[in-house]
Amino acid sequence: MQEATFLILTALADGSQHGYGIITEVAQISAGRVRLRAGTLYTALDRLRADGLVAVDGEEVVEGRLRRYYRLTPEGTAVLAAEAARLQANAAAALARLRLGLAGGLA
Amino acid sequence: MSEQVQAGTARLERGYRRVLACYPRSFRAENADEVLAVLLAAAAAGQARVGWAEGWDLVRGGVRMRLWPAASRPRAVRAAVTLMLAGAAAELAALITVVVTSGAVRAAVAAQHPATGNGVLVHQVAVLAGAPLAIGMWLWLAWANGQGEDWARMISAACFCLLTLSGLGALSQHAATYAPASMIAAATVWAIGLSSVVLIFTPAAGRYYRPQLAQQ
Repeated sequence: MQEATFLILTALADGSQHGYGIITEVAQISAGRVRLRAGTLYTALDRLRADGLVAVDGEEVVEGRLRRYYRLTPEGTAVLAAEAARLQANAAAALARLRLGLAGGLA
Repeated sequence: MSEQVQAGTARLERGYRRVLACYPRSFRAENADEVLAVLLAAAAAGQARVGWAEGWDLVRGGVRMRLWPAASRPRAVRAAVTLMLAGAAAELAALITVVVTSGAVRAAVAAQHPATGNGVLVHQVAVLAGAPLAIGMWLWLAWANGQGEDWARMISAACFCLLTLSGLGALSQHAATYAPASMIAAATVWAIGLSSVVLIFTPAAGRYYRPQLAQQ
């Protein structure tokens, strides 16, 4: 899973968001490192909707502009949970080996 | 809002709409207003022109959506379509290989079989004549499979059988000895064909080709 996709799913994990909301959430989650652009966001959303991981959760018009809200589907939640567990296991393995390497280097 | 800022926003909006034209019509009909709202919300204060980076990002997204539309197309079918496009590219590479190595192959065959010639040459001529047809076939099947046409699936399977037979025929003529480069190219094309045919006959893809069966 690409990082942008992972972060979009993460932004939707605790409730629905509209397009610009996802961009600001992703910036916040990644501590400002990932600034999603609209083209990237909507290409990813198009794909995620086709795969049934994300669904539309209503629309509203704010100041004459259309806002569409997106939410995770149960399948999307499961895929995100599996991917997060995989990343966590990888990160834990990396940190454990780094600690070993550091201890070995000092000895 | 001052008049100058309003004029700038209107100009920016027109710019974004022009760039959004590279997205498929169906996507624009559903999402153009929404994407526009996001673009304007993300724009810098006083911005009146579409920036290079964001323009490029939008164009890339539009081209990607046109070439590999995701709408209700399962992952297996998308992968198969991409492979078929790769098949067309590999076929082109095979054609170039045959053209470039034809002199060496002819010399190798002439040295071994000075009087009779060999089936390898027949295979080479077949590639030369057939490659443009094969490239067209790959592109057409990529398109038709992407559209979920069930007949395209059957024609793909039939083409793969023909590809296998012609490859075996060339091998039986010792093509591997005389024309190793074009046999490697043919093997690549064959592997691409095999993977794409396997993908379009997976159960997930089957539901896309035969939605009436999936609903029962």
